[in-house]
Formats: sequence, C-alpha cells, structure tokens
Amino acid sequence: MSERSAPIRVLIAKPGLDGHDRGAKVLARGLRDEGFEVIYTGIRRTTEAIIAAAIEEDVDVVGCSILSGAHATLLPKVVAGLRDAGASDVLVVAGGIIPEEDRAGLQAAGIAAVFGPGSTIAEIASYLRANVRRA
Amino acid sequence: MSDAPSPRRAALRGTRELAQAISSIERGGARAEELIEEALAHLGRSGAPATRVIGVTGPPGAGKSTLIGALADLARAEGRRVAILAVDPTSALSGGALLGDRVRLEERPDDDGRFMRSIATRGSGRSLSHAAAAASLLIEAAGFDLLFIETVGAGQADLGIVRLADLILLVEGPEGGDEVQAMKAGLLESADVVVVNKGDRPGADRAVERLRSGLALGEGAPEVLLVSATEGSGVEALLRALDAAALPAGRSGRVRRVAAHLASAVEARAAERLRTADADGRLDSLARAIADGGRPLRGAVDELLKG
Repeated sequence: MSERSAPIRVLIAKPGLDGHDRGAKVLARGLRDEGFEVIYTGIRRTTEAIIAAAIEEDVDVVGCSILSGAHATLLPKVVAGLRDAGASDVLVVAGGIIPEEDRAGLQAAGIAAVFGPGSTIAEIASYLRANVRRA
Repeated sequence: MSDAPSPRRAALRGTRELAQAISSIERGGARAEELIEEALAHLGRSGAPATRVIGVTGPPGAGKSTLIGALADLARAEGRRVAILAVDPTSALSGGALLGDRVRLEERPDDDGRFMRSIATRGSGRSLSHAAAAASLLIEAAGFDLLFIETVGAGQADLGIVRLADLILLVEGPEGGDEVQAMKAGLLESADVVVVNKGDRPGADRAVERLRSGLALGEGAPEVLLVSATEGSGVEALLRALDAAALPAGRSGRVRRVAAHLASAVEARAAERLRTADADGRLDSLARAIADGGRPLRGAVDELLKG
C-alpha cells in the first residue's frame, strides 16, 4: 500500500498569562477549513508545556498567539526547547500584538514569521504550505 | 541552555521517536508496515506485561477528556505509565481537523510517563482513525501500562473501538441514558463499565438509576458508577473497576490489535477504491448500465473492489 499524503499539523498555543484566545480560536478554525490538522492547547500554557505538546503531537508548525507583551522572553524559549528536543525542523511562527521594532530580534532568535493584526487566514495558510520543513 | 545530555532531553527525544512513528502509521505504506512488525517483534522478545487498552466513548460533552485526565493522574500517582489517544473528526469538506482534547487536559511537561496524542479520523469516515490499532501496538511496545483511546463520541454505532480495545468505558452525562436508549443495541451492549459523569450536577443519580434499570433487563449487565471528574469523586472507584474488569477471553490483546489493524486496512482499501471509482466515473457508468438493464447487478461490487 502506498503512503497517503498527510495534512500539515499545526499546534496553536497561548503562552504566558493573557487569557484572550479569540484570535487563536479564529485561526484554529480557519486553518482547519484550509485543510490543516490543528491542535489547540488552551490558554496560559508554559513554554515547557508547549514544547512537550509539540513533540507528542509531532507537529510541523507551532503557532504562538501572544498579546501580553512577553513575546521577547517566551518565543525564543520555545525555539530553543524544540531544538534541544531534536525538533529544530518544527517551524515556529507568532501572531498577536507584537511591535514592529521587536520583529528583527524574534527572527534572529529563530521565529520564522510574525503575523500581526490584519493578517488573513489565507495568507497564513499559504505561508505555512510554502515554508513547512518536512522530513 | 547547556549541551550536556540531561534525562529530560533524552526523555523528550524518546517521546519524539514514538510521536514520529505514529505519524508514519497515519501515512500508511511500507514504512508503517515495518514499524508494526518491529513493534510486534519487540513485544515478542520482551515478554513485557500487556498494555490494558480502554476505549472511552459516549456522547459529546459528557466529559470524556476530563475524566481520562483524572484517571491518568491517578494511575500515574500509582507509578503506572499511561498513554492517551484522542480521536477527533476530520472535516469531509476541507480534509482538516480541529483537535481540541488537550484543552481539557492538564499539561504535565515534566512527566515522561504520560503520553498524549491527538489523531484525526482522516479517511475513515468513522469515529475511529484507521491508524488507531497500529498506533496502539507501538504504544504497547513503548512500555505503557494503560492506554485510553477516546473516540469521537458518535455513541450508537462506534463499533470499531470494540474490536480494538480490551475494555469499553461508556461515559454519559447527567441527562443521559433514558431507559429506551439503554435498551437500544449499540455501544451500551458492548460497554464493560458505564459511568455517569458530572455527578455533582442535579439529576445525575437519577441517570444512574435509569441506566441500571435499563441494563438490568439484559444478561451480564455492566456496572454503572457515578463520578465527578472535575471534583475527583468516584474516580478511584472507577479506576479499580477498570483494573478488575475481566479481559475478553480467547485471543490475546495483541492478536486483537492486529486483527483490528487488518480490518481497518481492508476498510481503508475499499473506501479508497470506491473514491477512485466515483471520481473517474466508473461508479456512475456501472450504475447506469445496471439501471438500464444493460448488465446484471451480479459481479458489480467485485468489479468496483478490484479497482
């Protein structure tokens, strides 16, 4: 029997303390409708929990939605933790409220892309399809 | 972060290996078959105690995920290794899925004795993924003592899980289980243990009575227990009931898992053939010929299955 093509798996995570997950839920549902398998973790997850969930779920992408302003601390930790677990091929992207001037620093820390308010689901979906690094 | 090997890092890497193997199983093909054979060979050599596989089913909103989380915490506290496979439906329209069972589960990132994986039904069109049986074998080979498989919760016709699991736990909410429902064929007659969850809500004890009286009419009626997963009451009694429940006689769990995998693979193959015949118009032209009297019905199904 031949291999079936598998949908891209995306973990949508809410690191840190802000509990506003409307954006994360809209994205989760939108990506489902674009044909992705979306694992939603719920709010207020530690970076350790996000890394462990990403490994267990063998996702291709971790998308962190962050509104609290803690992105500069939390997001590089996710990237480093995945690398440490041997999962540096997992693409880490961010969304939410992230000031323009912080973006270069995040990208230098290994965050592949930042999607601010106004990004469309279609735009995010096509970015992910083009950039997922599959073994 | 230091580069020194840490137990934590080794554990995460081990988890990654199992997680990636399950993805290979989901994709199918030669690699999946190799992994299943490796798992069986390992299990044959190791003589490790078998994993007790518990299928958890019941209507949406009954609290299956929360209850599994509570059972897993308790079993972990007793030192047992626990795995969870949570199945959610794939959208027939987009092929995507929203897998939300982790929301109800406390994350335990430092605990490598618990493994939780969400799987979508993908092509199965059922309440179970075609990959569930083979994934169970891999989890058994990885040395887990207990495996909970949470199905989509279609309720009545969820029978794939019966073939695969050692025990069926049916979870009802406090409004569940009127007497006629309890007498209907389907999952209830396959359940080994029945629980009414959300036992802290009004009416839950009446649901227990309804289920008991409905089930009492049959032979070998399962136990009906009252629990509250969020408050923790009754969870220990439930775990004891699951530990004590007699396993199906005859074939070993391992043999049943392989049989369930073969059954899934046959279903997957047949569904694929049907999709192809539908897409390339053969289904339609065959139907037209039969409807017009141009060819007999006999042999048509075999022709479609041949591909």
